[in-house]
Amino acid sequence: MDSIDLFAMRESFTRDRIMLCFNGPISRSLIEEIGNALRNYLQAEQVQPSAAMDVFGAYIEMTQNIRHYASAQGYAEHEATATVIVANKEDGRHVVSAGNVVEIADGHSLLERINALARQDKAQLKASYKEQLRKPREAGASSGSGLGLIDIARKASEPLSASLREIDAGRAFFSLSAVI
Amino acid sequence: MSNLTITGSQSTPAISGDWEAGVLTMAGDSYPENSFDLFNQVIDWVERFLAETRRPLSLELHLLYLNTSSVRAIMDVFDLLEDAHGRGHPVAVNWHYDRRNERVAELAEEFKEDCSFPFAILAHD
Repeated sequence: MDSIDLFAMRESFTRDRIMLCFNGPISRSLIEEIGNALRNYLQAEQVQPSAAMDVFGAYIEMTQNIRHYASAQGYAEHEATATVIVANKEDGRHVVSAGNVVEIADGHSLLERINALARQDKAQLKASYKEQLRKPREAGASSGSGLGLIDIARKASEPLSASLREIDAGRAFFSLSAVI
Repeated sequence: MSNLTITGSQSTPAISGDWEAGVLTMAGDSYPENSFDLFNQVIDWVERFLAETRRPLSLELHLLYLNTSSVRAIMDVFDLLEDAHGRGHPVAVNWHYDRRNERVAELAEEFKEDCSFPFAILAHD
């Protein structure tokens, strides 16, 4: 195997203005630790507290959604893998992206939901958020059950973008990106 | 009767319920993966207080970032207060925030929209 070209990776990270990236099994404590690093970076960039909270919030909702999906699917701890990237833009905004392997059918329904959210303006998103908040919780469900995506869409300054790439029969890589 | 004390962590707020004073305080960030593991104790305490006493209950909140799962749990607490208020039990929420972080005030404001009991959002410098 060729040795990993760290220099090329570094060049690519720099070109894409990537502040932080992660790929692999993501545990509860890793989410917190990476979240800490993210908060420190945002503070060092002197991002306004409310904007920093939005970037952090998008990161938390995306990664916790991935953990909840893995646990709902019955994946083992080490199978709860995620690819997470936070980048900054020249205009001062940030891009939070996260991806994970999903069942193709789940991937398609996620894409539909995100496209539906992308058509809503801020007032409609708020109404959807409140409606979802009032829906009865499923028995045993401990998560925000569906609120997360709407919350990310509300924090974003552009419509969310998502894509699905088939890996093999039945599975695909789902990725979601939010400009905050 | 009994006080409630939950030590805070990086991702969970410090929570204390003073039964005699009728004050429940929550401070910090809240983004645990399973917020109901944490907030069920709070919900139980509030339910008991409202069922067993006629004394006023006030919530002093210094909460900052809440993940959506925590938002749901806090809404459940406020629903208990709303029911109590409807029965004439005096309840109030005071949500304190740092003036430099408007997002916290907006979060509190959205909760307040659905509550008819006294709900103050207080800026601090």
